[in-house]
Amino acid sequence: MEEEDELPLLTAVSSSARQLYLLLRCINFAEKAHVQINDGGLQFSVDEASVMEGSAFLSKDLFTTYTFRAPAPSQREINDSDDEDAPLEPDLPTFQISLPALLETLQIFGLTDPSTSKPHWARDAPASTATGGAFTNNVLGMNNMCRIAYASPGSPLSIVLTEASIRTTCNLTTYEPTFANEIPFDRQALAFKTIMRGTWLYDAVAELSSTSPEKLTLWARTRARKPYFALSSSGTLGSARVEFNNTPVTRAPPPTNNAGTVDAGAPQVNLLETFQLSDPTTPFRASYKFSLIQRAARTMSVATKVSVRVDEQGVLSLQFMIEVEPGKVSFVDFRFVPLVEDDEDVEETQFLGGEEESDESVMEDEDEL
Amino acid sequence: MMVVLNFTLTPEAAAKVHDLLVCLGKFSDTVAIEARRERFIFTALNSSKSAYAALTLDGKQFFSSYECVPSHGGPDGRFTCSMYTKALLSVFKGRLYDPLGRDGAIDRCEVSVQDREDETQCRFIVKMVCNQGVIKTYKLTYEAVDVMHALFDRNVARNRWSMNAGVMKEYIEFFGTKTEMLDIFAGEDGRAVFKSYTEKIANGKEILKHPLVTAVAVNTSDFEEFNVQPGCHIIISVKDFKAIVIHADTMKTSLKAFYSHPTRPLQFSYGCDGLLCEFTLMTSGDYNGATALPTPAPAAQVSRGASLAASAATSDARENRSMRPPVEPPSRRPPRRQVGSRQAALPNRPPQDPESLFVNEDEEEDTQWEPADYNNEEEALGWDASADRNAGNFPTFQDSGSFSRPDGVQSNTDSMEGIAPTQRVSQVKGLW
Repeated sequence: MEEEDELPLLTAVSSSARQLYLLLRCINFAEKAHVQINDGGLQFSVDEASVMEGSAFLSKDLFTTYTFRAPAPSQREINDSDDEDAPLEPDLPTFQISLPALLETLQIFGLTDPSTSKPHWARDAPASTATGGAFTNNVLGMNNMCRIAYASPGSPLSIVLTEASIRTTCNLTTYEPTFANEIPFDRQALAFKTIMRGTWLYDAVAELSSTSPEKLTLWARTRARKPYFALSSSGTLGSARVEFNNTPVTRAPPPTNNAGTVDAGAPQVNLLETFQLSDPTTPFRASYKFSLIQRAARTMSVATKVSVRVDEQGVLSLQFMIEVEPGKVSFVDFRFVPLVEDDEDVEETQFLGGEEESDESVMEDEDEL
Repeated sequence: MMVVLNFTLTPEAAAKVHDLLVCLGKFSDTVAIEARRERFIFTALNSSKSAYAALTLDGKQFFSSYECVPSHGGPDGRFTCSMYTKALLSVFKGRLYDPLGRDGAIDRCEVSVQDREDETQCRFIVKMVCNQGVIKTYKLTYEAVDVMHALFDRNVARNRWSMNAGVMKEYIEFFGTKTEMLDIFAGEDGRAVFKSYTEKIANGKEILKHPLVTAVAVNTSDFEEFNVQPGCHIIISVKDFKAIVIHADTMKTSLKAFYSHPTRPLQFSYGCDGLLCEFTLMTSGDYNGATALPTPAPAAQVSRGASLAASAATSDARENRSMRPPVEPPSRRPPRRQVGSRQAALPNRPPQDPESLFVNEDEEEDTQWEPADYNNEEEALGWDASADRNAGNFPTFQDSGSFSRPDGVQSNTDSMEGIAPTQRVSQVKGLW
């Protein structure tokens, strides 16, 4: 028992600080992040005024070694003793840390970028750039060791970065966790779910930002038996809407169309991979604060896929799958509390749904019934 | 009665709209749109009213489909409105056309106008149909305005040159970044000199602006056409010139210049594939071109009175006074007065034009061109801010279609491909 106490709770070694940096940067919108260590990895979560929260999970797959010595079920009172599962689980270490400081730390090696310090013949062969894209170490020049250690509750999070002959040790102060309630999201009662490419969502949000809107509205319905998902917003200069249809409107797509896309070869690329509406007969609509959604924009731009889910309460969950290197994926989650709809919005509903095409589809939907 | 305006653009054409909006954005925060049955025109007038741009998109050639039925005015009717350049640019982004069909590239662009009396919202609707089933729809607000056109008489503009825009773009890269004016000088040695400069401005001992001159000499043989009276100096704004050359270069075409003499408007023209761009710029400079001018501020050393007198005697008499300010919408003042104030604009009027937009010829002390007398209501012109499009919708000077086009009097017979004037001289005459 005592021996074990001397060993740190966590030792994790990563060969790429850059990967950790890229994932944590996705949730960089608050000063402090909650960190929870468990067998599977490190969970970082941040929250904004309890209306938005984001979390990034650094899975142990990202590390070359990951040793977590779960403390024995704690003798002290478990806070949430009313939870019946709690006594069975070990007391997982949880603390707060300054996220900007951590990101700063992980970036330290940018200063001695090997791609510039080494002569070009000594650098790693650039062959992997073709396969790895923007996330390979060679491209980023971050091929170095990063060791994360957390000795015991209350001790600082120690990060040791090693590159060639330089070793940097940073001890980041850890803070007591504040038990903010996480935004409840009921996976069992989903009103709407779709999966699409992250860049499409990114493009749509970027497009809508040109109207400098206050709110973003999601629309979903089954239109002529085909999934239909749209984002819309309006501002002083007008309104904008980006819609995704699974039936490409392109009558005769030029032959070059699919050449550059990832999904080349698929018979007909579906924009929306999964599409579920709890009640397909009524159009789904929910609004969120645009500025909050925009905070997830950076994540959208790097994500391979995003799962958009809204539960019956209107809480929006955006789960991003990020490919840190080929074949290795990580997840970053966001949750948003919806805006309460005013009655005035009805006008907008008509406005958006009042076009000929929509009318047709409404009719077809009725036929279906 | 409602306006019908629907058109479709190919990705290539939409990318050209982006390019032209970028160019117009360098002149004005707002662009005016004038849609007629056969063509669609973007116009912009800069804030000092010294530069006017009209970019005409041919209904048949530029668009993949084009339909415009104005609510009134018959065959000569038009639909006009004004929008923020920025708003249009956020819709007509760059990279709309991508041969590889990557994200952001569009399959086609459909535009329509929702302008009905029974609609609470009038919108300019742009629908970008992207590959793979993504559709982006923008409903932009617009302001109902009247669109005015500056007239330019190419018959009078005897000085002409034409040069490949790509070549010209190489020259403008030499211009000092902080220079303001551009003197285009036709030398007598077979060379043309493009001199960009900033005049020194000092307030007592404090130098507010340092003088800076960059001159690029070009052999006239490098021009496709160079037919300019030797010794002629003409001065325009560098910023305008750069914006025009850069845009002309995106179209891989030749830039043509037409001008008569300093203080009279100059026109740049270029175009291809159903897009014709015309920029009418005010000029300054020394009318007595023969006088050698050593430094910037060429006009400063010459007696303004003398040069103007010469100007009036030699050419004003046969000049059409073609470049004149667009009339102000009637909401600003009664048309009666407006007519009176424009008398000098008539071709058969005495040469001195006290109301000329571009130069106040009676003003002796100010040798630089003065854009406009803003204190003078008569002189100032502006966009019609009123949304009242029914009452007095088309002001006195506009085409109503009821006047037949006069031959002879019409000044722009030379520029057939150009935009027909909005104000007809005969119509003007008939009114007083």
